[in-house]
Amino acid sequence: MPDETFIMGLFKDEGKAAKVILELAAAGFSFRRAHSPIPSHRILEALKLKKGRVGWFTLAGGIFGFFTGFALAIFTAVQWNMIVSGKPIVSLIPFFIVGFEFTILFSVFGNVIGLLVCSRLPDYRGLETYDPRCSGEHFGVLAACETGRAGELMDFFQKKGGEVKVFA
Amino acid sequence: MNSTMPSVQAGGDAVPQRSLFTLGAFLTVAGLVAFLAGLFGPHPQRVWQAFLINFLLWSAMAQGAVLFSAVTHTVKARWADPLSGLSEAFAGFFPLSFVCFLILLIGRNHLFPWLHADLHGKEIWLNIPFLFTRDGIGFLILYGVGWAYLSQDLKLKLRAPGPAAGLRRLLAGRIPQTDADLQRVQGRKTLWGGLYCFVFALVLSLIGFDLVMSMDPHWVSTLFGAYHFVKAFYVGLGALIILAAIIHLRRGSSAGLAATHFHDVGKLFFAFCLLWADFFYVQLTVIWYGNIPEETHYVILRTVTPPWNALAWVVFIVCFIIPFVVLINRRVKTMPHAMIILCGMVIIGIWLEHLLLLGPALNHEAAELPLGLTDGFVFIGFMGLMVLAVAYTLKTFPELLPPARQGAR
Amino acid sequence: MTDLTYAQIDQTILNTLERPRPRYWFFVVLVLCGVLLGAGAWTYQIFVGIGVGGQNIPVAWGTYLINFVFWVGIAHSGTLISAILHLFRAGWRNPIARAAETMTVFAVCCAGLFPFIHLGRVWQVYFMLPLPNQRFLWPNFLSPLMFDVVAISTYLTVSSLFWYTGLVPDLAVVRDRSTGLRYKVFRILSLGWSGAHRQWLNYSRGYLFFAALAPPLVISVHSVVSWDFALGVVPGWHTTIFAPYFVAGAIHSGLAMVLTLMIPLRRIFRYEAIITVNVLENVAKTMILTGLIVGLAYGTEYFIAWYSHNAVEWESFRWRAIGEYAYGLYFMIICNVLLPSLFLFKAVRRSIPWLFALSLVVNFGMWWERFVIIVGGVAHDFAPHAWGLYAPRLVEYCVMVGSFSLFFFLFLLFCKHLPSVSMTEMKETAHHAG
Repeated sequence: MPDETFIMGLFKDEGKAAKVILELAAAGFSFRRAHSPIPSHRILEALKLKKGRVGWFTLAGGIFGFFTGFALAIFTAVQWNMIVSGKPIVSLIPFFIVGFEFTILFSVFGNVIGLLVCSRLPDYRGLETYDPRCSGEHFGVLAACETGRAGELMDFFQKKGGEVKVFA
Repeated sequence: MNSTMPSVQAGGDAVPQRSLFTLGAFLTVAGLVAFLAGLFGPHPQRVWQAFLINFLLWSAMAQGAVLFSAVTHTVKARWADPLSGLSEAFAGFFPLSFVCFLILLIGRNHLFPWLHADLHGKEIWLNIPFLFTRDGIGFLILYGVGWAYLSQDLKLKLRAPGPAAGLRRLLAGRIPQTDADLQRVQGRKTLWGGLYCFVFALVLSLIGFDLVMSMDPHWVSTLFGAYHFVKAFYVGLGALIILAAIIHLRRGSSAGLAATHFHDVGKLFFAFCLLWADFFYVQLTVIWYGNIPEETHYVILRTVTPPWNALAWVVFIVCFIIPFVVLINRRVKTMPHAMIILCGMVIIGIWLEHLLLLGPALNHEAAELPLGLTDGFVFIGFMGLMVLAVAYTLKTFPELLPPARQGAR
Repeated sequence: MTDLTYAQIDQTILNTLERPRPRYWFFVVLVLCGVLLGAGAWTYQIFVGIGVGGQNIPVAWGTYLINFVFWVGIAHSGTLISAILHLFRAGWRNPIARAAETMTVFAVCCAGLFPFIHLGRVWQVYFMLPLPNQRFLWPNFLSPLMFDVVAISTYLTVSSLFWYTGLVPDLAVVRDRSTGLRYKVFRILSLGWSGAHRQWLNYSRGYLFFAALAPPLVISVHSVVSWDFALGVVPGWHTTIFAPYFVAGAIHSGLAMVLTLMIPLRRIFRYEAIITVNVLENVAKTMILTGLIVGLAYGTEYFIAWYSHNAVEWESFRWRAIGEYAYGLYFMIICNVLLPSLFLFKAVRRSIPWLFALSLVVNFGMWWERFVIIVGGVAHDFAPHAWGLYAPRLVEYCVMVGSFSLFFFLFLLFCKHLPSVSMTEMKETAHHAG
């Protein structure tokens, strides 16, 4: 495999960054990642990404939680198996509260797990090809090219109005 | 689109046609015939029950629909602007609702179980003169404030008197000319809008206590008033969505209503579905858990005893389970046909819910549900009245229709 | 707010994380002393017994429960601001969302302490966990107190996760501007966040789901707390309106606490361009709504108490107005309903001194509301021979001071070590405006 150089173009304007992404492929460079300090709809549109899959994790968690909550309440009630306060041993009206809270709790667990899994966080290795200015006011576009063409890529970025950072 | 005929431009082909008025009149007459037939039949009590239930339901729809515009204006939710005119169009039903309220007076002997009962001191609150006076004043204030709000909004939307100049001039008054005028009208609109929200909560709570809860005079639930006004907003939103969907279907994509509007108002509808169910559950849990016979008899009669228990399940499924499951899906909210069916179903569900609350109090020892063809016809009759009222309002003030999108074919 | 650049936003907020002046440490030590005072009182109570508090028959629930409900209430409006207003796409929430969410987490922590404190024999708290024991005794999930366990722990977990998730992009910003130990710590805490497109894509979805799950949680948790009272048969407690009434009251007191915290914060950290008067005004406007709801609930309770013609219920409300704790009722009505209605006047709700003063008034009034409900309910219930009074004792006052101190202690630490305004969300606001 030929040696690859990673170069990031940093732009202060979101629109410029989005345009650059669209033009990278045409220029023969390989796009890797786009960094931004805020979620950028234009960049996501330029990348034509589908909606994330986090929701499925949340839903799965919620369904699991719903049944777990009821199961817990029903199981513990059936163990004692005596009428308390004249209420039936398995009373769905109050147990619904437990089920509801567990639904929310496990939906949130599912949400967090989904978020971590789908975003591939924690990701400390990705910081090796990252410029700290991307969390400030710059939008970063990380592209890869053969080492020989590194100069071309740098020019490409600079002509579009961006600053450049080269990663070894 | 020339600017010399603004009132024709606004609305376009969504302005109600004559056929709609004919339909409305036909439905109203059908209902009226059934009502009169029942009145002079062997069981006038049944038809008065139907009248009360429908009066409450359709008035709630109108009051709740207008609330949408008042609330979104007060919180400055800009997304709701195209829908606000449609929501205000329901204010056309207010006079009809008030007349129907007065008609209740005629049926008082059939409607109020406490009329000749020994109330151990509650008579000073539950007696016909006081009840009708306070509720009448409440309605007058609510409807007056609603119309004042409508009037301010019309001042902002109208550009010229146009046809039917009489009513338009009456309601809209002087059109603001200068910027200072506009500011003043905006300020007044915010004031009346805020007042409407406040009066809505108070008056609908009062109506809930007086016309629904008091039918079983020895039962109380402090949340009942709030439950009634949450219900009203729920069905009001449903009615608004149906109207918006119909207009969208008639006009096509050049209507000022985009998918996002339907999505947003659909989400609000979903939220109030949840809130309605929550207010229902909150009352149920407290009463069930306390297990105090004074309170539980009401709930047991309606949820456990036949024939009402089946109705209770139907209400729960139609008003909560089905809308909850269906509306979780994002796309459904933007499909006008689906929303018309869903909202229509919820309206019928809340109609049944009124029957569930009022029926056992008005039909002691009922062996079967007091639900028959007559009830259906009276429902249709009120639907006709609503159609006439909203159609007339939109015809007189086509500016209430969402402004056609610029440059759309 | 709209003419701030990203760089200005970052700088203003990161400046607050600079080395604090001695005055800061003075306040931290001061509230720490309060915390120690409360901890000391609690330790004393553990060794001597719950009886050192003022609670007794008939008022078995005193300031510990009042403070529990008070802190849970405060927590709710944090979630309202950060989650519910996010769903409504109300941009004015962005400057205060972070601090509000932090307030939630710390308030739930404080609230969660009170069931322990009130338990007396705190080592027995494990009874509430669903673990099998040698006598096959399980907790009874029919009890509202068990609903509380489930609800409060869920709320604490969810709020903390929501808070942390919201912090991650900001932690990355701090990491990128730090060196040395702070860099290392924030590098770990920020989970290697780099703002990559895939991360933002999933983050936005996840955050939206958090925001969608939070409102049902807010409503259910405070409903559950209200059911600690409403599911009993005590007159003045057993009433269906409690759940929405408590939720509205919670948001009312929480918004007041937001103002109480934000106003000094913006002054000390020079956040005037970020937390503008418009933002504070919107908080005040929301308080008009919650104040009216709470007022409607007060009126409805009184009306239904009369309407029901239930002698015990009416006696409870009659005594509430003219009995030994009547001053509590008047504090409640004046401070929660009448005075906040001054916010209807634009001049009042745009004046910083008025906003601050009224926020303190509402917090005071809402504390008294819980007193009137909790203490007033059991002090004067069914049988006259069982009527009795209650006054908090020194231990309870110390614990209360301790809980307020703990809250401010945590909040002070937060302000100086974590970004108290969300830089990311501020940039989003600037972005959509510019």
